[in-house]
Amino acid sequence: MGAQTILVVEDEFLIRFMLADSLREIGYQVLEAADGDEGFEIIMSGQVIDLIVTDVRMPGAIGGMELTRRSKSLAPARPVIVCSADLLKSESYPADEFLAKPYTIEMLAGLIARLIGDPWQTTTKTHSA
Amino acid sequence: MADDNQDPQCLIVADADVLIRNALAEYLRHCGYKVFEAATSDDVVIALEEGAVRIDALLADADLPGHYNAFELRIWVRNHHPDVEVVLAGNIDAVAKAAGHLCDEGPHLQRPYDPASVAAHIKRLLAATRRQRL
Repeated sequence: MGAQTILVVEDEFLIRFMLADSLREIGYQVLEAADGDEGFEIIMSGQVIDLIVTDVRMPGAIGGMELTRRSKSLAPARPVIVCSADLLKSESYPADEFLAKPYTIEMLAGLIARLIGDPWQTTTKTHSA
Repeated sequence: MADDNQDPQCLIVADADVLIRNALAEYLRHCGYKVFEAATSDDVVIALEEGAVRIDALLADADLPGHYNAFELRIWVRNHHPDVEVVLAGNIDAVAKAAGHLCDEGPHLQRPYDPASVAAHIKRLLAATRRQRL
């Protein structure tokens, strides 16, 4: 079994690249989406996704919270981490975790490892739509 | 050919279709490149103007959206970053073939898999997404 796959949904190009590149360096497989619409398209393509990290405010029809709701309706056990500069943790339901911006890659990696394990662990469950 | 001890060569894959972009970028990462994924020409301009890493080549869809269309973007890149090779491709098969050529010229001697299988994989993903929408 390969490393766990993380879907990173972030409209800020350089932030998305930095996040994805850092998570790949750690050892995860990473799929990148530039907004919620793209994120949902990836989910609906049937690719295995073990965890989603999403921004909240993004252009397009599907924002980060709507993407979270749709993912949870398709795969309730698949963890979602929402990241926002202006949302409150209490407003992040049904996401599993909330990360206030600005945050460090170490903070994000710690949350991911707690939710799906480190990339060298191969016993994680997989979640697909 | 890049030396293993050097930083990896960097590419930008620019395509508005996320499934195509993801698959091409993943293929090129298997070839040893570091790959930026850009959804618009604006993202490409940001990546090149940021200058944090040296970009070796841009592989772009001919229908790329953004402030510049793909052909205007090619002119902009030639004027502002003449060292960056620009490859435009107009359909899935052509873009997969172009990725295969980049792979041949890149850090690794061998392709991880045939570009035709990249195109087939993209078409399967697109078909699966369309089925889900029906």
